[in-house]
Amino acid sequence: MIYDVVIIGAGPAGSAAAVYLARKKLKTLLVTDSFGGQSIVSDDIQNWIGEKSISGVDLAKKFEEHVRFFTKEVDIKMPEKVVSTKEIKCEKGRRKCDFEIKTDKNNKYRAKTLVVASGARHRKLNIPGEADFDGKGVAYCSTCDAPLFNGREVAVVGGGNAGVEAVIDLLPYATKIYLLQRGKKLKADKMTQDEIMNKDKVEIIFNAETLEILGDKMVTGLKYKNIKTNKEKKLKLGGLFVEIGSVPNSEIVKGLVKIDKFGQIIVDSKYSKTSHPGIFAAGDVTDDPYKQNNISAGDGVKAALSAYNYIINLKKKSPCEEGKDCY
Amino acid sequence: MKKVIIYSTPTCPFCKQVKDYLSEKKIEFEDIDVSVDQDKAQEMIDKSGQMGVPVVDIKGEIITGFDKDKINKVLGIS
Repeated sequence: MIYDVVIIGAGPAGSAAAVYLARKKLKTLLVTDSFGGQSIVSDDIQNWIGEKSISGVDLAKKFEEHVRFFTKEVDIKMPEKVVSTKEIKCEKGRRKCDFEIKTDKNNKYRAKTLVVASGARHRKLNIPGEADFDGKGVAYCSTCDAPLFNGREVAVVGGGNAGVEAVIDLLPYATKIYLLQRGKKLKADKMTQDEIMNKDKVEIIFNAETLEILGDKMVTGLKYKNIKTNKEKKLKLGGLFVEIGSVPNSEIVKGLVKIDKFGQIIVDSKYSKTSHPGIFAAGDVTDDPYKQNNISAGDGVKAALSAYNYIINLKKKSPCEEGKDCY
Repeated sequence: MKKVIIYSTPTCPFCKQVKDYLSEKKIEFEDIDVSVDQDKAQEMIDKSGQMGVPVVDIKGEIITGFDKDKINKVLGIS
């Protein structure tokens, strides 16, 4: 079976692409870990157009319901993760080659085009101790796990929106919250910052570079350095939340498409095209500067329509059939 | 029927997903809110060796996170 399109991921970009491809009656496969994308951990999304307020989980449900409405056109493989993609050797006479994707369940799927909407994942600190104490005091989802740090002294690394929001999540539970920021000021929106100002238990540490997470069975502390004075310091901690941005999930198409130094897939944003014909990309995995649900959905639509046009063109005669040299 | 316990917090999206999934499959479970019960929070940490929710305990089999495949396997459902 050769699909017209395989969509990788079901956040706003992948889900929007699936709906549009289904309505074009293209045989589509959606391979994803889950629906909803990164904002599934958000308590309250207030900028999804048409919804004044919706939780990440409910938005994910809406995506899933919408895509599942088109069961005849869209096959869904979930939970399943794509691990690699490759181009299949062109058969003689074919104008374009197919793609093959391999998954963590050792399945292989073949498609004429790919829509890469694999999103991004939490960026890690990559310092000693982080992997050892992952889940053992090192946490990446404050919405989920903040209450478990009741009565503890904790640190949050990262002074962007996510970091400051983690501090807000921890305020009712932790006895002391250190917020470590590498630069000399916070990057979070002013409105978000205001919520943690003048709170006795919050201490903001600027110019801080994390060095090592300390612990035995569980986290007991953090070693960091003031990058201005080069002085090393230790904090005694019962937990640590990491909120330092995201890393694009682009490894699966490495070698096929051009990727920038941040790991983002370079797209021609007019058509959501990548550097490789037949591969389209949308959402947080791309170099689009605004990582937003609404934008990802719109770019997913672009990718779907471009994939559709690409497939229409494939149906035209190949150069070989026209008697021209095709190799 | 196997006894299923879920350790969760009210704000955790993956907890909600696990609970929705089990309800959908008509599997009964006991839901423990570890944000209000410190003893149970410690019990969860002891059982799972980690501090993240959700933790699903299916008659002693401990599953962390919303791991649909594992839950299906342990419960023998699909």
